[in-house]
Amino acid sequence: MTKQLDGAKLAILANRFEGVARKMANTLLRTGRSGVLNRARDFSCCIVTADCDLLAAADALPIHVLSGPDLMARAMREFHPDLKRGDAYLHNSPYHGCSHAADHTILVPVFDEAGKHRFTVLAKAHQADIGNSVPTTYHGAARDVYEEGALIFPAVQVERDFKSNDDIVRMCRLRIRIPDQWWGDYLAMMGAARIGERELEALGRDVGWDQLDAFAAQWFDYAERRADEAIRALPAGRTQATSTHDPFPGTPAHGIPITSIVTVDPAAGRIEVDLTQNPDCLPSGLNLSESCARTAALIGVFNSIDPTVPKNAGSFRRIDVKLRENCIAGIPVHPTSCSVATTNVADRVANATQRAIAELADGHGMAEVGAVIPAASGVVSGVDPRTGAGFVNQVFLGFTGGAARAGNDAWLTTAHVGNGGMCFQDSIELAELYQPILVQERALLPDTEGAGQWRGAHSVRVEFGPIGAPIDVGYVSDGGINGPKGARGGLSGNVAQQHKRKRDGTLEELPACAMIRVEPGETIVSVSCGGGGYGAPTARDRDRVRKDVEEGWVSKSRAREIYGYDV
Amino acid sequence: MTSQRFRFACDTGGTFTDLLVESDQGLRMYKAHTVAGDPAKGVLDALTKAAIDHGLELRALLEAGELFVHGTTHAINAIVMGRTAKTALLATQGHTDVLVLREGGRTDPFDHTVPYPDPYVPRALTFGVPERIDASGAILTKLDEARVVEIAKELVARGVEAVAIAFLWSIVNPTHELRVAELLHKHAPGVAITCSHALNPTLREYRRTSAAAIDASLKPLMTRYLGGIEERLRDEGFSGRVLVLTSQGGAMAASALAAAPIHAINSGPSLAPVAGRYHAAREGDGARNVVVADTGGTTYDVSLVRDGFIPWTRETWIGAPYRGHMTGFPSVDVKSVGAGGGSIAWVDSGGVLHVGPQSAGANPGPACYGKGGTKPTVTDASVVLGHLDPDYFLGGSVTLDAAAARAAIQNEVASKLGLSIEEAANAILDLVTENMVQAIVDITVNQGVDASDALLIGGGGAAGLNSVAIARRLGCATVLFPETGAALSASGALISDLTAEFRRPCFTATDRFDFDEVMTSFAALAAEAHAYEEAQKGATLGATITFAVEARYPNQVWDLEVPLEHARFNGPADVETLRQAFHAAHRQVFAIDDPNSAVELVALVARVRCALRDRDLPRLGNAGGRDKLAARKAWFQSRGWCETPVLRIEDLVPGQNRAGPAIVETPFTTIVIDPGARFRATQSGGLAVDPAPARVSVAA
Repeated sequence: MTKQLDGAKLAILANRFEGVARKMANTLLRTGRSGVLNRARDFSCCIVTADCDLLAAADALPIHVLSGPDLMARAMREFHPDLKRGDAYLHNSPYHGCSHAADHTILVPVFDEAGKHRFTVLAKAHQADIGNSVPTTYHGAARDVYEEGALIFPAVQVERDFKSNDDIVRMCRLRIRIPDQWWGDYLAMMGAARIGERELEALGRDVGWDQLDAFAAQWFDYAERRADEAIRALPAGRTQATSTHDPFPGTPAHGIPITSIVTVDPAAGRIEVDLTQNPDCLPSGLNLSESCARTAALIGVFNSIDPTVPKNAGSFRRIDVKLRENCIAGIPVHPTSCSVATTNVADRVANATQRAIAELADGHGMAEVGAVIPAASGVVSGVDPRTGAGFVNQVFLGFTGGAARAGNDAWLTTAHVGNGGMCFQDSIELAELYQPILVQERALLPDTEGAGQWRGAHSVRVEFGPIGAPIDVGYVSDGGINGPKGARGGLSGNVAQQHKRKRDGTLEELPACAMIRVEPGETIVSVSCGGGGYGAPTARDRDRVRKDVEEGWVSKSRAREIYGYDV
Repeated sequence: MTSQRFRFACDTGGTFTDLLVESDQGLRMYKAHTVAGDPAKGVLDALTKAAIDHGLELRALLEAGELFVHGTTHAINAIVMGRTAKTALLATQGHTDVLVLREGGRTDPFDHTVPYPDPYVPRALTFGVPERIDASGAILTKLDEARVVEIAKELVARGVEAVAIAFLWSIVNPTHELRVAELLHKHAPGVAITCSHALNPTLREYRRTSAAAIDASLKPLMTRYLGGIEERLRDEGFSGRVLVLTSQGGAMAASALAAAPIHAINSGPSLAPVAGRYHAAREGDGARNVVVADTGGTTYDVSLVRDGFIPWTRETWIGAPYRGHMTGFPSVDVKSVGAGGGSIAWVDSGGVLHVGPQSAGANPGPACYGKGGTKPTVTDASVVLGHLDPDYFLGGSVTLDAAAARAAIQNEVASKLGLSIEEAANAILDLVTENMVQAIVDITVNQGVDASDALLIGGGGAAGLNSVAIARRLGCATVLFPETGAALSASGALISDLTAEFRRPCFTATDRFDFDEVMTSFAALAAEAHAYEEAQKGATLGATITFAVEARYPNQVWDLEVPLEHARFNGPADVETLRQAFHAAHRQVFAIDDPNSAVELVALVARVRCALRDRDLPRLGNAGGRDKLAARKAWFQSRGWCETPVLRIEDLVPGQNRAGPAIVETPFTTIVIDPGARFRATQSGGLAVDPAPARVSVAA
């Protein structure tokens, strides 16, 4: 029989599980082939229990893992009740727990010596291409999954006895653009998952599988206690906030208002986030998957409470996320498209949630993080005139977006709220080496921050264009109309903008969601959203305002007019 | 004056300054406290101890010195404390936020209490220069020289002391950086300058710019410091050679280092794997791979030897990853975590134990130091368990307060976890062991080394307290405590070579191999290497030059270094040999390869190593323990309190195995061997411990 583990043994086993997840992530980072994976680090690795509860994730993107791995593992178990050692499953179905079709996920069930399924390891990575009808993994204008065009894998078996099912591989190679790049990433993900499997098998042999089960149960209880304590520190109340996504093709003309209704019950140590009042699914790629709807609400809550509360199935027990079917921020029904589920509307959910909590009392919650995906973080494709070879890849030429929270200015390079700043930003030189492009400018813009006692991020302006041959740039840039709102008297950050600079130097405004052909001699000028401020700007510490002026973040006139301080 | 000749190797750490003195009579070790603010004083204090021990005046000792090799934390401390020169950055116009935006990345996406880091050079001192070169080296925008002259004048007016020049694609075409340096020499004379292409010819502008900025900012102060320490040694009579250890695991003349002081960032720790490789080979263990761990008071440094090679990285951070500054400069890969004897143990509100990252430091230090600390540390845990003798800490130079250690652990850990005081102390050691194991796992994964078939080397004064447990957890067959392990980096300094590295970017691939470009570049590198070798003739014992390429699969971004047998590419067969060597290297590090793929080249490298010695280190003359040793009670998880023999190394017959429990003491360290482990003295004065085949479960 197992017994109660003490606080030291819990700590050690928690470290060991995280160590396994980190080992997976390190392997994936260093072996991936596409830029979105190895230059931008748009991937996550995690471990769920046999009951499909999230146990450990290391260095993962929040929107990838809080909820989703649990749902995907459940789908795997349901579709394949006779799981065996040596199996591996490919999953990207947003109708069965994946975030969106672009996030290919490898699931490997892990067994003890007696053949009992004990854990499942997951390696999830945003792909450079997934065979969509257009060369972008973010098809914002898709009316449904058919127009979106991705191959959908609802936990499809891709390995048996550690050997690959080449039928599936051939299907992918015939459909996904730049198949060698996809194959390189696939191998890297499989390698990471198999390393996780090997490490967990060793851990089980070392410590004993029943001990690991006992640990998981007690670690969840610990996380729940910590969540309980953190929620008890919040004021009681019911509050709501709305964060509106800009109009895109297929949306109402006024855009998509996303409302999060938050009820904090400190006495019970519980938080409820109700998303059911939001609009129905739209004929658009913006609909959330269940994974992203649930996760985005959790992100808003975790951004607002003690950061040391572990994020796992135990702490999640204290957060009730209410979703409904056929809701844009809920549970989509096939063939609804969820092509852009990890960013745009999901970010509105998280932002509305954390800003709602901010309205409960000073010191809590967080302002809004800027919206994405601007053209400078879009998917570029074309034929490289230097080699004659085709290319397609998401670039990360410049993002900011960070929001302020009580006690701290924004983390500048947050990217978007669902990412939390984990993404890498492209090196200009690498971007110019790998794509036939030139980046004329990447510069932060003064006076674009969400002003406040604690200030949000500034916008970054990126100007880039093709060399020698045209390129296509696909993007889904929210936040051009509805900028990131501040909280508790903090001001909004700058809005996003995108223009094409034509050969004669004139600027043409571009739509928010588009696939743009850019000819040599033309450039895209892309401005990212800033981030919202927290608290009244006039309450900002004078030394901070002075330093902002000295460093060129804030002009003297803005310091005087907005911050009320004559430097 | 004595007829002996002395060689000195000195490593200034955060807490202690280690000194090894080598003469015909052997090797002797000394430790002095590092003096914050005057590191040279710690060095002279250690030298004074050595002089007294040798029965000489300091002057007589130094006059008989022929070599002084020195590891210094002066550069990194200056950066951490913000005491570097007033430094400006000149960057390509439109790209002046390179040090603000960095490369993105973050450690914890939910921890909003961590501030976004300030750029290494303030925006107010960053200037955009109108110029642009593209990936092919073509000049798209001509350099605006008039603007550069204006900037130069502004630099002078604002009292700038150092300037980094870092333009896009300067590695392909350095014309603009070179011209700007010329203009600054003329219009801002006396300002220290670093050009990014010359210092760190690598792709990725952030890393190149960061390296250049860090280097420039260190120039004025490192020139003063190195001059100062040399002057003080000369004043005291030293007339030998002064060398400084580098982040590349070698030594450089102090004057050469002053010209590129970024080399001194990881001056001491980078020598640990050099020492580890030496000790592993000397003990004849035959292990292909070695994990070298150095336990200090506040940090645990891990480095590797992989198949005889010491792996390098460009991703060295000053401070925490993503929160500090990346040097971007190729250096010996050393992973440092905040774990050591001073790490504080605490229990959170949910009842889970943590050790660190907070450290009690040197002041107040662990509770047992009796300097007012009330928080329990790893050292306190070892005192409570009887592993450390309160009366013989550091050879008896410090007396520890065991009652204070007990009180701290009882109040802060045992009571809160509902454990006995011994179980609590043991839990602290278990957890810090796990933290250290994870640091080893991280670096071994990234470098493709399987820790379980590696030899573990326990270096640093506090290594003996839990290195046997670390080895057991990793599955290592043996952990070796070298005789000079308590001053591991200093022992590396004594055997270090004079090194130099020359590097050229080279973008080609095995499926479109540019023979002319590769051969021309290698010829140029070879010429540089030979010129360096020539300049060292007479002062060294011969040189070896090795060549390598940095390469990757198409579209990968993490380059691997592939050593070459020779730098000749006469035809397709040589290219194919390189391609196969890359596949093998990729398999070794990443466990997979892509055998049908072409391989892209990124850079060519030539390294020169000039040997400074041709014989083994002599035995340590002052490693003997105290005379009166008795068994004492110590606590182990499997046995509880038990009578444990306390031994000196010289009491052991080399090669003869004994079984734990035992405690082996020297004046510099204490090695704890728990029941089940077997241990033996080695022929060269070290202690080898096999940590028991039985697995020890972390969960009872």
